[in-house]
Amino acid sequence: MAKTKTLRKESIFSLKNIVVTGLIIFYAVFLVIPIIMAFVGSFHKWNPLKGDFIYTGFENYTRVFTNDLFWSSLSNTLIFTIVVIFFRIVIGLGIALILYSSIVKGKTFFRAAFYMPVVTPLVAVSFVWVWMYNPQMGLINQILGTNINWLLNKDTALGSVIAMTIWKDYGYAVVLFLAGLYGLPKDCYEAAEIDGASGFSLFRYITLPLLKPMTLFVVITSIISYLQTYIQILVMTEGGPGTSTYVTSYLIFDEAFVKYNFGYASAISFVMFIVIAIFTVFAFKITSDKEKGGAK
Amino acid sequence: MSKKAKSLILHFVLIILVVITIIPFLWMVFSSFKTNSEITSITPTFLPKLFTFNNYVNVQKSFNFLRLFANSLFLSVAITAIVIYTSTISGFVFAKYKFRGKNLLFGLVLGTMMIPWCVTIIPRYSMMLDFKWLDSYLAIIIPAAVSGFGIFMMRQSISTIPNEMLEAARIDGASEWFIFHKIVFPLSQNVISSIAIFQFLWSWEDYLWPYLIISSEEKQVLSVGLKMFNGRYGTDYGGLFAATTISIIPVLIVYLIFQKRFIDGIAASSVKG
Repeated sequence: MAKTKTLRKESIFSLKNIVVTGLIIFYAVFLVIPIIMAFVGSFHKWNPLKGDFIYTGFENYTRVFTNDLFWSSLSNTLIFTIVVIFFRIVIGLGIALILYSSIVKGKTFFRAAFYMPVVTPLVAVSFVWVWMYNPQMGLINQILGTNINWLLNKDTALGSVIAMTIWKDYGYAVVLFLAGLYGLPKDCYEAAEIDGASGFSLFRYITLPLLKPMTLFVVITSIISYLQTYIQILVMTEGGPGTSTYVTSYLIFDEAFVKYNFGYASAISFVMFIVIAIFTVFAFKITSDKEKGGAK
Repeated sequence: MSKKAKSLILHFVLIILVVITIIPFLWMVFSSFKTNSEITSITPTFLPKLFTFNNYVNVQKSFNFLRLFANSLFLSVAITAIVIYTSTISGFVFAKYKFRGKNLLFGLVLGTMMIPWCVTIIPRYSMMLDFKWLDSYLAIIIPAAVSGFGIFMMRQSISTIPNEMLEAARIDGASEWFIFHKIVFPLSQNVISSIAIFQFLWSWEDYLWPYLIISSEEKQVLSVGLKMFNGRYGTDYGGLFAATTISIIPVLIVYLIFQKRFIDGIAASSVKG
């Protein structure tokens, strides 16, 4: 590349300059400015309809931490995220390992079938599952022979939304883990087999550590998206019954676009941002600690 | 355990899982051909007893389904095409060029994936208010024109294209644009396929942003329309099943078109952690 620079004089309208300028403008307008606006706004009473923009100091943040609804929404959000990620990884990895096995036939068919919910719009599948959970006409009660009102019962509502989300998303983990397995170096296995390792110990000491980057990728992308879950809650339960499925994104949406408290909603989103950052760092830490342990 | 027995068990497990995965779809599709009285009857059926197309015909009568479908299709195709182009060209620049502030800019790109939508959605909405873009497709297309995910995937895969190949083209006198369009773009088809699948799905299922931006009913997108339909015609279950079934078809078509290259695309761009 250095060579071309000396060969040709770069025009201001070179591909590189156009792309870089375009990206800078795009990210300035749609990322940097909005973040600054949100941050500044979180210290204000901000209502764009009334034209309000009044400095209130930390009032919005104190309101967040003294709001019971915030705390219950946060606990629902965390339960939702942790349970979904756990099952997504366990089921995803399990199926990927089965599909990777040389004795399994029809891999393409299975892969496509497991991937189907992933490539289906979330709004649409949320509707389907509202009907699946219907006490009279729903397939789940028909199969189980029960007539539980899954989504209108405090004890089952969150679990029902979680189950649907696991069903929808595990296929993505299957495909990622499968891609990870195909990318594993074959010589590691050969060397280990020569050393007498087999079955579970191969999995425990070779497959699992080598899949770590992929696992971390799945965990981190999952943390970011599940901590902001919104659509399935909106379609399936609207936060109810009571506050049993009320999630923080729902609170933010409600405060911002129903009550037009932009400042307060921004304060909640920054708190969420910090929660997401903490979880992401935590996920990195867990994997790197294991690495140290494994090296012993 | 013999190899044969093991293989049988594994296939059995897989088939059970496939059934669990597919059943909600089959049930929805079958139900869309049932009459409303059959759907709500006390002795429920899985396959339709009385096969009817009425739900599909009626859905257009109850709400302007085709219009919303066309709106969603237009927006998703436009955004996907734009994102593919901007991701590939930006990925190319990040993978093969040096410039000042490259790491900072790439940090911003990754930042779009890390920053929660809830932080930026409020200022973005108030920006759209200032731009007078409310109720306009500009507000949906322009902020979605660049995808951090797309650029990230593309940068990963384009860095594996050997520099010698690009260098050889330069020596033959090819311009940077020519190299991009005639060499890099065609070589990136696998990753383009995965971006196409994801981006089309994300645009097609996007609910919140169109819901906030679009106020005229005839400009609205299908996902928002489905929710409104559900609220307004909550008793027309057959109609809802039919509308939902159709709303899934375009995404599945896009998936089927691109899926062959899709796995290779994911493998090429995300595994190398």
